[in-house]
Amino acid sequence: MAGSGTAHMRNNDEVVLGVRDLVVEFKIGRGLVVNAVSKVSFDVCRGETLAIVGESGCGKTTLGKAVLQLPPPKSGDVVFEGTNLTKLPKEQLRSARTAMQMVFQDPISSLDPRMTVMALVEEPLWIWERGTEEERGAKVRELLNNVGLDPDLVLNRRSYEFSGGQCQRISIARSLALEPRMLICDEPVSALDVSIQAQILNLLQDMKDRYGLTMIFISHDLAVVKAVSNRIMVMYLGKVCEVGSPDAIYSKPAHHYTSALINSVPIPDPTRKRGAVPLQGEPPSPVAPPSGCRFRTRCPAATELCAAEEPQLREVNPGQYVACHHPRT
Amino acid sequence: MSAILSIRKLVVNFETPRGLLSAVRDVSLEIAQGSSVGIVGESGSGKTVMSRAAMGLLSGSTVRREGTVMFDDKELTAMRADEVRDQFGTGMAMIFQDPMTALNPVRRIGSQLSEGPRVRLGMDKKAARARSIELLSLVRIPDPEAMLNKFPFQLSGGMRQRVMIAIALACKPKLLFADEPTTALDVTVQAQILQLLSDLRREMNMSMVLVTHDLGVVANHTDFVAVMYAGEIVEQAPTTELFSNMKMPYTEALLKSIPKIDSASGARMAVIEGRLPDPTDRPSGCGFAARCSYVQDKCRTEHPPLVDAGNGHLYRCWYPLGHTIGRK
Amino acid sequence: MRNLFAQMNLLSKLSAVWMALMTALAVFGWLIPLPDPREYDPEASAAGLFSPGHLLGTDAGGYDLLSNVVNGARTSLLIAFISVGFGGLVGSAVGIIAAYRRGRLDYVVSTGFNILLSIPNLVLGLALVAVLATSSDPSVPIASNRRVIIIIIALTVVIIPILGRIARGATLTWINREFVVAARSMGMRDKDIIVRHIVPNVLPAIYSVLFLAVGVVIVAEGALSLLGVGVVDGVSWGAMIARVAGEFTYAPQSMYVPVVVVALTVIACNQLGDFLRGRLDLREGRI
Repeated sequence: MAGSGTAHMRNNDEVVLGVRDLVVEFKIGRGLVVNAVSKVSFDVCRGETLAIVGESGCGKTTLGKAVLQLPPPKSGDVVFEGTNLTKLPKEQLRSARTAMQMVFQDPISSLDPRMTVMALVEEPLWIWERGTEEERGAKVRELLNNVGLDPDLVLNRRSYEFSGGQCQRISIARSLALEPRMLICDEPVSALDVSIQAQILNLLQDMKDRYGLTMIFISHDLAVVKAVSNRIMVMYLGKVCEVGSPDAIYSKPAHHYTSALINSVPIPDPTRKRGAVPLQGEPPSPVAPPSGCRFRTRCPAATELCAAEEPQLREVNPGQYVACHHPRT
Repeated sequence: MSAILSIRKLVVNFETPRGLLSAVRDVSLEIAQGSSVGIVGESGSGKTVMSRAAMGLLSGSTVRREGTVMFDDKELTAMRADEVRDQFGTGMAMIFQDPMTALNPVRRIGSQLSEGPRVRLGMDKKAARARSIELLSLVRIPDPEAMLNKFPFQLSGGMRQRVMIAIALACKPKLLFADEPTTALDVTVQAQILQLLSDLRREMNMSMVLVTHDLGVVANHTDFVAVMYAGEIVEQAPTTELFSNMKMPYTEALLKSIPKIDSASGARMAVIEGRLPDPTDRPSGCGFAARCSYVQDKCRTEHPPLVDAGNGHLYRCWYPLGHTIGRK
Repeated sequence: MRNLFAQMNLLSKLSAVWMALMTALAVFGWLIPLPDPREYDPEASAAGLFSPGHLLGTDAGGYDLLSNVVNGARTSLLIAFISVGFGGLVGSAVGIIAAYRRGRLDYVVSTGFNILLSIPNLVLGLALVAVLATSSDPSVPIASNRRVIIIIIALTVVIIPILGRIARGATLTWINREFVVAARSMGMRDKDIIVRHIVPNVLPAIYSVLFLAVGVVIVAEGALSLLGVGVVDGVSWGAMIARVAGEFTYAPQSMYVPVVVVALTVIACNQLGDFLRGRLDLREGRI
C-alpha cells in the first residue's frame, strides 16, 4: 500500500482542495524521525465531505493539521482554491487560513478556560476586525442560535461550566464565525457520549447545508464516518490504503486493512456470531516502518512482492482505488 | 447457582457545596457465578460510581453510601477498609479505562506484575517472576521476558491494557470488574482485547462485570445486561432477551443513536434530544421523561418502579415499548 | 477585593492585615512621631520592651527599636517589592516567550536560568553587590541610596530566573492545548496569542510565587546585611539585625524585635501566596 499514487485524483473544476505528495515528519530526539505522513495525495470537491479514516498513529490528524500548515509539512503541495498554501509568505498564509477552519477533538481543551463564551466565539471576528462591536455581538448570537444554544444562557459563562457536547457546539459556532468555505473536523465526536454524538453529527450536517461547506472529517470510527461522508480515504501508518465511496468501501472493501477495520466494529446484535478477531498484533512503529507495503506485517495476503515494492493506488472498481498488490475481489 | 456478587438497594450520594449529589439511587443487581454482566450507561449515568462502590473502592468524607453488597457470601459493606482490601487480588480485581494512569509510570512492568503474587500469595522472587512471564503469555504478549524490563511509556495502548489485565489476573480473582476497558483503544485492538477477556473468562472460570457505554460491546461479550440512566437501572435482562424484546424507550433510543456500519450513508442520525438531568436536582418522575418521545403526564410526576417481564427481564417504565398508549 | 478577603481563612486574613500594616508603615511611617532611628543615645541603651518613650525598647547603642522597625519597613519593603516586581516582570516575560518559541531561544534561556539558579541566592546576591558597590576610592563608602539601588539590582537578578523558570514551566503546559492551535488556525498572530491566551492562564502560577518571592527577598536583604554588604547605616530590618549581631545578649530584645518582624512578614507572605494558589488551583481543577 502506498500513498505515492495519484490515480484517485480528479483534476477538474470542482476540486476545492488538492494535496499532493505531502510529507510530514517529526524529530523525537536521538536522531529518530517519525514518518507521520509519507507522500499522501488527495483532493476534495466542492460540497463534498471527505472522510479520512484510520487508527491512532496513522497520521490522519497530522494530515489535517498539515493542510492548514500547522505545522507546515516537510514537502508537498497544498492547493486551496487555486492558491498553493505551502508557498505563501507568513502574512498571506494567515489571511488564507480564514477560509479553512478546524473543529478539534477535545471540546474542552479547545476552548480557553478563562474566556467567556462571548469572547470565545467573537475572537475570530476580533482578530480580523470584522464589523463593529455591536455587529460582532449580533453575529455571535446568531451563531450560537444556529448551533442550538440559547445565547442568553451561555454568553457570560466559561467553558468549564458546560458539558462536552455543549463545548463542541461552542467550538463549531466559533469555527463558523469567519464563514469559511472549508471545515476540517478532527475527530469531533470521539470524546462525546453516544447519544450526544448523534446530535453533533446532525448539527455538522445542518451547518454544512446552511453554509455550503466542503468538509474533511477525520475519524477512527468507521460507523460514524459512513453516516456523514461522500468519499472515504483509509490510511495506515502514514500512507493511503484505499479511496472510494462509502457504499463501495463498506460492501466490497478492496484492501485487507479496510476489511479488517470494518469487521472489528462491534455490532449491537447478539444474534450475529463473531468470527475470529480480524486483525492480530499491533501497528509497527512509525519511526521504522516496514519496507514496501507498510501493512504487510499483519496482512493475511502478504507475499514477497509486498516487501519489495510499494504498491501504488490504482482503480480496481469504478470510483474505487486501492494501493495493494493483491486486493480483495 | 449462587451469585458471586449481590448488590442490594445500593445508594450513593456525594455531599457537595451545591447540595446532595445523587449518583446512584436504589440499584439492585445479582451477578451469577461464571457469568459476564454488562452495565451500560452514558457518562453521568452512575455506572462508574456504582462499580467502584460495589468494589468498596469509593472512599472520602463526602461519600454517603447505603445498601448492602455481598461478595462471595461475605458482606463487603460491613467490612472495614483493610478487610475489604484483603478481597482484592484473590477475590475481586479491576481493570480501568486508561491504562496509562492505572500503571505506575516509574516502575518496570515486571515489578508491577509480581507485586500481587508476592504480597498476596506469598511467592518468592523467582516464583513471582515465573508467574509474571506466565501471565504475560496468557494475555498474548509476544516476548514476555523482554516485556518485564520495560516501562509503561514504552508500550502502546493495547499492550498496556494487556499488562493491566495480566496484573488483575495475577492472583486468580473470582470476579473481574472491567471499567470501560476498551474505550480508549482503537477498534481493531478493542476487538482483540474483548476476545481476550472472553477467552480468559472461560479458561479461568471467572465472572466478569463489563462497564461500558457501547451497546455493541455488550451485545457480543455478555450474558446479561443492565442499562443505567440517571443513577438507576432502567432495564436489565439476559443479553439476547434485551435486544430482541426491548422494553424501555431509553434503551431503544440508545440503540438507534449508535451509528451503524450497515446503515445507509448520508442518512440523518436518530437523536436523543436534551441532556441528562442534574444529579443535584433529580426530577420526581421518571428520569428520562424530559427526553422520551413517548412521554405521558404520569411519567413526569410518578417515578416508575421496576416491573418484572419474566425471563429475568426487569424494566422501569410506565409505558414500555409495545404499549399502545402514546404511540403514533 | 472585599469578597476576596471574606473568603480567606483566619490565618490568611491575619496575614493580609499584617502585610497591609507593614505596607502602611512603609508608606506613611515617617509621619509617626518617633525618635530618629539613627539617633545614638547611650543613656537609653538596652531599654526593655514597653519602656517609657521606647515602645519596643532600644538596643545597646540606644537606637529606638520601634522607630527602626517603622522606618526600616520602608527600605526593606521597597527593596522587596521593586526587586520582585521588576525581576518577576522580566523573568516571566523571558520565560513565557522562550517557552512559546522553543528551539534555540528556549535552550539558551533555560540554560541561562539554570546557571543563575545553580548559584545559591545569597552568594549570587553577594557577588553582585560586591562588584557593583565598589567605589573608586576605597576609603569613601558608597552613599546609602546608591547602596539600596545596588541591592535592588542584585536581588532582581536573583529573582529573574526563579520566576522565569516558573513562567516557562507554566507556559509549556499551555502551549500544546488545542485552543492555542485553534487560535493559530484562526489567523491570530503569535504576540496576540501570548498576550490573550498564554499570559492570563500562566498568571495565576506566577503571582502566587511572587508573594513567596517577597519573603525570600526580605530574608536575603537581612542576610546581606549580616554579611556586611546590605544597607549599612541601619535603617532597614536587615540592618537592625546586623547592627546587633555580635552583642545582643546585653539587650536581647534588640535581636528579637527585628527577627520577629521579619519572620511574621515572611509567614504572612507565604500564607497569602498559598491562599492565592489554592484559590486559583480550584478553578484549574474544574478543567
